Amino acid sequence: MEFNPQVPIYLQVVTSIKRDIVIGQLKPGDKLPSVRDLAVSYTINPNTAGRVYTELEAEGICFTRRGLGTFITEDKERVEQMKEEMAKELTDHFLDGMKRLGISPQEAINIIKEREKC
Amino acid sequence: MLKLMKYEFRKTMFSKAILLIITAISEVVFLIGLFFNWGNGLGIGTLGLAMCAMIGIFYIGVESLLVFHRDLNTKQSYMLFLTPKNSYQVLGAKVLENGISIFVTGLFFAALAALDASLAILYLGGLKEFLDMLGQLLTNIQVNINITPGSAFMMFMTVLTSWLLMVVMGYLAIILSATVLAGKRYSGIISFVLYLILGWASGMILDKLPVYGDENMQLVVTICGSLVIIAVMYAAAGWIMERKLSV
Amino acid sequence: MLECREITKIYGRKKAVDAVSFQIEPGRIYAMLGPNGSGKTTLMKMAAGLVKPNTGGFFYNNEPVGPKSRREIAYMSTEPYFYAWMTAQDVGKYYEDFFEDFSMEQYQKLLQRMELTPDMKTKSLSSGMMAKLKIAVTMARDAKIYMLDEPLNGIDLLARDEIMRSILEASDPDKALIVSSHLVDELEKVVDVAIFVKEGHLAGMYDVEELRIRQGKSVADVYREIYGHGGEQTC
Repeated sequence: MEFNPQVPIYLQVVTSIKRDIVIGQLKPGDKLPSVRDLAVSYTINPNTAGRVYTELEAEGICFTRRGLGTFITEDKERVEQMKEEMAKELTDHFLDGMKRLGISPQEAINIIKEREKC
Repeated sequence: MLKLMKYEFRKTMFSKAILLIITAISEVVFLIGLFFNWGNGLGIGTLGLAMCAMIGIFYIGVESLLVFHRDLNTKQSYMLFLTPKNSYQVLGAKVLENGISIFVTGLFFAALAALDASLAILYLGGLKEFLDMLGQLLTNIQVNINITPGSAFMMFMTVLTSWLLMVVMGYLAIILSATVLAGKRYSGIISFVLYLILGWASGMILDKLPVYGDENMQLVVTICGSLVIIAVMYAAAGWIMERKLSV
Repeated sequence: MLECREITKIYGRKKAVDAVSFQIEPGRIYAMLGPNGSGKTTLMKMAAGLVKPNTGGFFYNNEPVGPKSRREIAYMSTEPYFYAWMTAQDVGKYYEDFFEDFSMEQYQKLLQRMELTPDMKTKSLSSGMMAKLKIAVTMARDAKIYMLDEPLNGIDLLARDEIMRSILEASDPDKALIVSSHLVDELEKVVDVAIFVKEGHLAGMYDVEELRIRQGKSVADVYREIYGHGGEQTC
């Protein structure tokens, strides 16, 4: 995975894992790799990898079972909510960029509709 | 310590193998000369064997210094200095390995010489003469033994201490030059000059020892004096290596 | 666990390292960064006890480093240093003979992963293969501190991943790793702390994730601030 070195790595990995959950590559109740394996598979610092799980737990997306490991929440609503949050974040980001170009939300919608036709 | 010695032996194995091969060739030439009445062969073989014994033992001593010089002045030094062994152990392993090598080589050549001499006498002179000679030899030894009960031991101690003095002095010279020059050019020559200076200094000290009329007493004093110098040099070498030497 | 106290090393007239102090804590991976010749190698060699400082010193668990600390501090130098007669197998045997924490099994595994075979002669290894062999034999130790001097030098991309992997696998809450490099981007996402060395001085020590969280800066950004250029780029 390519990282932006100016953005906290743990947030970038958190986003990557959330995306995997949303698209169904990771399913509710799935066991996540150990902190060290996560570090190795993303080639990131192990303490950063630990922070990824702390963050995911704080957001209620993961939970830890003592001695068993970290699991994805089985709460489907939470996953749905997370998807909405991410979509909203992307939309905000998109609209913000459009606004800087002087394009209103209404015009942006038209541009998207045009795009969809092709 | 044994493990350090094992690797010291490994470093000098190649030249020892070569020495063994040349010795074997000389021995074959000698035997061919002996059995086929080939005078030149006999002469060349004998000369070869004698040279092997003298130069071989000398070279084993010198090589130990060459190896040590390389150990301190090339990147290979990390092999020794990365191990959790201290400098006294590293030096001790080198001294012991070298001592044992020289001793074993000496024994080997002595045994070979005895064997070859007996063969020659047996073959050239016939059995009767040989037995006569053997008898004579035995009486000679008898005589020798009668004369020298303790002096054989003295002799051994003298050889041992003078060898030890030379080796430890060489190590100290190499360590000093490596510490000051840190692997620069001419460190080999500087080591040699330092070696001569150290040799001269220890000679001076030994000369200052009191003189006794009794020859044996004199030997004991010289040996003890040498041992003290060896101990001091060994301690100094180890200390400098441990505290000051950067590789 | 490893402390550097006011250490100075002078070569001739040049101060290679000048009054440097810092502390290494367990559970962290450190990058020691700086251009070639800035003093990184000299610092590491002093920590390994190979080079003796003029003043100050390294202390491992409050004792000066020396033969004893080498039992627990594994050091890998940039230069190859094995005896010319050795094969990869002999190198492993040597480490097994001298280091109690060395695992032959782990070594064989690492060799295999690095695509090396035990019968390879060290004399005829390419620089990339030699770098991999040095990593394999060093990481096969179960040391408390690993110090790797320029482990990524002269190594192709695929092998870099393999080396990064073995570094990450060795990390542990009671172990510390120090990796020196003049290539910043390689270590950026792997280390906890970046130590910057400039002309023999300590130019800064940063928690790199904090740097990104609080200032939105990458290690490369700080590198540029300190040295006035982007360093040597990987590519």
